Amino acid sequence: MGEAIVITSGKGGVGKTTTTANLGTALALQGKKVCLIDTDIGLRNLDVILGLENRIIYDLIDVLEGRCKVHQALVKDKRFEDMLYLLPAAQTADKNDVNPEQMKELVTELKKDYDFVIIDCPAGIEQGYKNAVAGADHAIVVTTPEISAVRDADRIIGLLELEENIDAPRLIINRIRPHLMKAGEALDINEITTHLSIDLLGIIADDERVISSSNKGEPIVMDPSNTAALGYRNIARRLLGESVPLMSMEKAPPSLFTKIKAVFTK
Amino acid sequence: MKAQVTHFLKNLVTIKGKNKGLVLYLDDQCAYTDLLAELKAKVSDPALDSDTEVTVHLNNRYCTDSQIQELSEVVGTNPHLKVVATTSDILTVEKSDQLIRESQSETYVGIVRSGQVIKAEGDLVVIGDVNPNGRVEAGGSVYVLGRLKGAAHAGTKGNRDAVIAASWLEATQLKIDNELETMTDELSSLSEQPEMECAYLHTNGTIIIDRLQELRFIRPQISTFKGGS
Repeated sequence: MGEAIVITSGKGGVGKTTTTANLGTALALQGKKVCLIDTDIGLRNLDVILGLENRIIYDLIDVLEGRCKVHQALVKDKRFEDMLYLLPAAQTADKNDVNPEQMKELVTELKKDYDFVIIDCPAGIEQGYKNAVAGADHAIVVTTPEISAVRDADRIIGLLELEENIDAPRLIINRIRPHLMKAGEALDINEITTHLSIDLLGIIADDERVISSSNKGEPIVMDPSNTAALGYRNIARRLLGESVPLMSMEKAPPSLFTKIKAVFTK
Repeated sequence: MKAQVTHFLKNLVTIKGKNKGLVLYLDDQCAYTDLLAELKAKVSDPALDSDTEVTVHLNNRYCTDSQIQELSEVVGTNPHLKVVATTSDILTVEKSDQLIRESQSETYVGIVRSGQVIKAEGDLVVIGDVNPNGRVEAGGSVYVLGRLKGAAHAGTKGNRDAVIAASWLEATQLKIDNELETMTDELSSLSEQPEMECAYLHTNGTIIIDRLQELRFIRPQISTFKGGS
């Protein structure tokens, strides 16, 4: 029996879908069998980020309404042999076409065959959110170092804490820009964690390559040299129970040699 | 004529003069209709011919609101008398329970997050933070052992002596009774380090923020602690 994790944030555009794609891929790379569910019905994106858009035949609504079996709707990511699957959202229906009981049943069914079922939650706190959290055992809240995102994260944590079947939510701070944090222009990690007072699962540096790789349909986590990828890999290891220290966001201070060199090259 | 004399002998209504007007003490054992009849006779006494404020005291009789209204109207048949208050020695169980709840203190342990509202009928003690867009409301005072960064409303039922105290008072809005203060930058009383502060209602109707330590001089009546050495 696997575990179901919902990835949520309240606010839109903070990186829920990117996090879902990368975390799922990272867990698959660690040898876990993963199923990703896109619950953003009507505005599906997860398939695009994973590069699986063209292979969708059936979707979540088809499964729930009995037009196909679950395994028929699951899209296999061939890059990871038999490890990563996606259950895409429907594009022609809307969030009110699904109810939490159906989702709970579906997730329970999928947990039997997968180590991790990762649910990508839509923005907001309405029906789509309720559907997404219905079957989850754990919750991950994604935020960015912006006050608006942190406010919404606070609201969503309050709602998640009311859910009896979900463990205490954990936090991912996404899109960290070390130079802004250092200058005090953005909220720092400490401020965010004290404010929200939940466990910090990991931090992800802001990196342009995350965008370019998403556009290519290749999750950034596949590039082991990238810092954002390293952040996602660390989170995956923490989810598997390893104790991985938080990576430092500061670049190493310039050595004496580089300083001297700088004087001569001016 | 004789019947009326015996009626007066029952003495169901006793009139006493107090420094501020008259107090009518009403018998609490007789029938209500008898009481009403005697009250009517007593207030129509031509000796009561100067404008006076009257308090009606019901002793141990429970009267409904409409009965109290009726008694006031009867007193009002004498144009010189004006009922200013109706008092009684008894309470309904419901009212008494409510008074108990309002005098008690409730404790909430946890974080009041955005969108959450915590309400208490009496005092409210929050152990944890109140985050922005979170709200705490109390019939009595609000005490936050943590950071108050949301909105707080004390004295929701008109208690103007209620206070709001916090380990860190960085609220977005403070309200005591019906007086609202938005904690904007223009407010001169805002401190850089709002540690251990309290807010109370000044007699001029504005909310004042002061050090927590001043509370014992400003609101000594809040202290319910008795004894000790």
